[in-house]
Amino acid sequence: MSLLEVRGLAKSFGSLAAVRGVSLAVAAGELRAVIGPNGAGKTTFFNLISGAIRPSSGSVHFDGADITALLAWRRAARGMARTFQVTEIFPELTVAENLRIAVEVAAGLRLRPWLGRAGASRIAAGVEEILELADLAGKAGRLAGELAHGDQRATEIAMALALRPRLLLLDEPTAGMGEQETFAVTQLIRRLHRERALTIVLIEHDMRVVFHLADRIAVLDQGALIADGTPAEIAANPAVQAAYLGQPAEAGAA
Amino acid sequence: MTELLLFNVTNGLIIGAFYVLMALGLSLILNLSGVINFAHGGFLALGGYLAYTLTPHVGFWGALLLSPLLTAALGLVLERLLIRRLYGRDPLYSLLLTFGLAFIFEDGTRFVWGAQGLPVSVPAFLNQPVSNELFFITYYRLFMVAVVAVAVAALFLFLRYSRVGIRIRAGTLDLETVSTLGVNVGRLRAINFGAGIFLAGLSGVLAGGQLGLDPTMGSGLLMPSFIAIIVGGVGSLPGTLVGGLLIGVAAGVTAVFVPSASDAVMYVLMAVVLLARPRGLMGEEGLMT
Amino acid sequence: MSAGGRTRLPVLLAIWAALLAAPFWLPLIGGYTALGTRVLVLGLAAMSLNFLLGFTGVLSFGHAAWFGLGAYGAGLSLKFLAASTPLALLFGTLLGGVLGAALGALIVHRRGIYFAMVTIAFGQVFYYIAYRWNSLTGGDDGLRGFARQPIALGPWHIDILNSGLAFYYFVLFCFALAVGAMALLLRSPFGGTLLAIRENERRARFLGIPVELHVWIAFALSCLFISFAGGLYALLNNFADPNNLHYSLSGDLVIMAVMGGMRNFWGPLLGAAVFVVLQDYVSSLTTNWMSFIGLLFVLVVLFFPRGLLGVARGKSAA
Repeated sequence: MSLLEVRGLAKSFGSLAAVRGVSLAVAAGELRAVIGPNGAGKTTFFNLISGAIRPSSGSVHFDGADITALLAWRRAARGMARTFQVTEIFPELTVAENLRIAVEVAAGLRLRPWLGRAGASRIAAGVEEILELADLAGKAGRLAGELAHGDQRATEIAMALALRPRLLLLDEPTAGMGEQETFAVTQLIRRLHRERALTIVLIEHDMRVVFHLADRIAVLDQGALIADGTPAEIAANPAVQAAYLGQPAEAGAA
Repeated sequence: MTELLLFNVTNGLIIGAFYVLMALGLSLILNLSGVINFAHGGFLALGGYLAYTLTPHVGFWGALLLSPLLTAALGLVLERLLIRRLYGRDPLYSLLLTFGLAFIFEDGTRFVWGAQGLPVSVPAFLNQPVSNELFFITYYRLFMVAVVAVAVAALFLFLRYSRVGIRIRAGTLDLETVSTLGVNVGRLRAINFGAGIFLAGLSGVLAGGQLGLDPTMGSGLLMPSFIAIIVGGVGSLPGTLVGGLLIGVAAGVTAVFVPSASDAVMYVLMAVVLLARPRGLMGEEGLMT
Repeated sequence: MSAGGRTRLPVLLAIWAALLAAPFWLPLIGGYTALGTRVLVLGLAAMSLNFLLGFTGVLSFGHAAWFGLGAYGAGLSLKFLAASTPLALLFGTLLGGVLGAALGALIVHRRGIYFAMVTIAFGQVFYYIAYRWNSLTGGDDGLRGFARQPIALGPWHIDILNSGLAFYYFVLFCFALAVGAMALLLRSPFGGTLLAIRENERRARFLGIPVELHVWIAFALSCLFISFAGGLYALLNNFADPNNLHYSLSGDLVIMAVMGGMRNFWGPLLGAAVFVVLQDYVSSLTTNWMSFIGLLFVLVVLFFPRGLLGVARGKSAA
């Protein structure tokens, strides 16, 4: 039973077709990487799945339900969390406050005008757990906007996790990171996948990360799905090689 | 009745022409620089008062040209010294700054020229009625409409065909791309600001000739100009043009039937447009959300 | 002081002690009780606006409309409905709150500068109504012929009409209620979603927050609070006039919030105090006070964009 399924998904901006008829299924518990040269439509594809934009045609199904018409916040409320290529956090709040808001929203409290002591301590425990998980406990009191780039990325992933998602969409989680930070984030993603059996779809440029983490890899080129298979299959696929040969810098970018 | 209607429609068109001139200037600055220039009315009043001071020396025609230029020059100085610092920051700050400038302008004109209303003398022949039947239309009114029409046409031609104008339009749509193409965005914004202020100064001179001068004349035109922009659609200059004429004529027509509601009608119009077409009559998708 | 609006306890105690003792220390520095009442009322108005501006990140530039509706509502209620101060406040608060909520529903999809423009323009609608509807509002001359009424509280009878001191404490009590409610709201999960929207609307949306709904609620609450302040203002002056609704008062309220510090819960109160005292002082010195106020706007924007408390905080953090 697939958790996420897209059927014939397409999006055009004017005369430019960014995504062309992509069909794809992601099974529960799977870690799927989406790769492709620059401009292949990966982020547009993510935006279609998460509801940031509406598709020109095709449909998105999540846990058996057609969610094509749902607004982004409703998809998030159903357990679809995402991060962005450019980190989106709450810069003038502390890391703990960033997470507190996410935990409260996930607990269905977003309209609550007050919270009793018991509720508050339950929330605090939830925040604590996520801080530990993302290895941010030492930075809980720091303003998120003042953190190093890697820690900001980690905060964003932590916020997504605080939603207790069933599907996590990560858009280039290691973008702009150094060796050490890339390693830490890769470890975190692996832990989430292995230990928590979280379903993850990630866009990634760093091929070492992709081949290290992914159960299956989908390859987009010029908006179309040109391959979908295990890492070994993808590595041997001539179409994929051809797509990347045009841009050799891509594969070795990191 | 027909005559009354004609009179008021003409009146509405003329008032609408002022709104248009003022609102186009505001709109130019808003679209490219994201600044709501509250001091626009202050510049308008200044244009009128400068014309009053200049007329004895250079005559009405000289003042008509010189006064908007001087006003625009002051605008450029203020843009350089103050407003430029606020581009790209929270729009709150440019709002507050120009709000403060509006106070200073109003008080300053009162200080220099006095609180009493002053007339701007226009050449005698312009004060003649066009004909006995159309006794309510003086040549000055026709002249005003003509000047506004020429100014608007010149502005649209400038934006469509000149290199700077094309860049301004492109910058309105996507400033980032324009700047990566090597265009000096700072200078573009300055030119654009100057053009907007020139229009304010011009409408000040024209308004002074028709209605006389008064330190609050500009702030009185500010709200109708806002509404013209909202009704026409934020981000669209043709929309502003249509919006200004529309609320002017609507106010004129309303004045015939329900004189006391002639101010209110523009607000009603705004509410209706906002309900029926939230982006305004000619507003574009994605701009200014 | 955290970004969520929490003030440390000693600071909080000092603020309340200063407010409680104000009628006694104000004369020592050349002030008077009514000036203190004015600061409280306008401070509450600026704090209500800041609920939206500083804590939700929504730029309303027409909040004087709701303030003025509160003032007219209170005045009309005293004049035509019943000689009751609480009823007047309730009526004023609801008038501004309900109309504000209705407008909010119309414009909640807009942000930034467009939102500012629409709020200014719509705010002026009420200015024109107050200005034009002579028979009801007194038009340009303002609404007269009403006075706040003494409060009957069980066996006690508090004469807030003739005792400026009693009225100060009445206003302080109302202020405490409203400010307490705002502080609680900002600390609550709902308040957290507002901070989230201020900080990063996109992130808020993808956390599962329906941003428009939350902005609308915040707008309506802010209108409710500021109309309450407007009602108090009418009681203070026993008078309401169209200037209470004019956009230039909106500008004054925004500058109070910014000058004091938008990111600080108490900032707008400080800003209101500075503004009111300065205006009182400058207008007694010169007829050109408008230029001074204008200059104040310019100076604040150029040199204190984070406000007085924002500067203090920045320094202590460094």
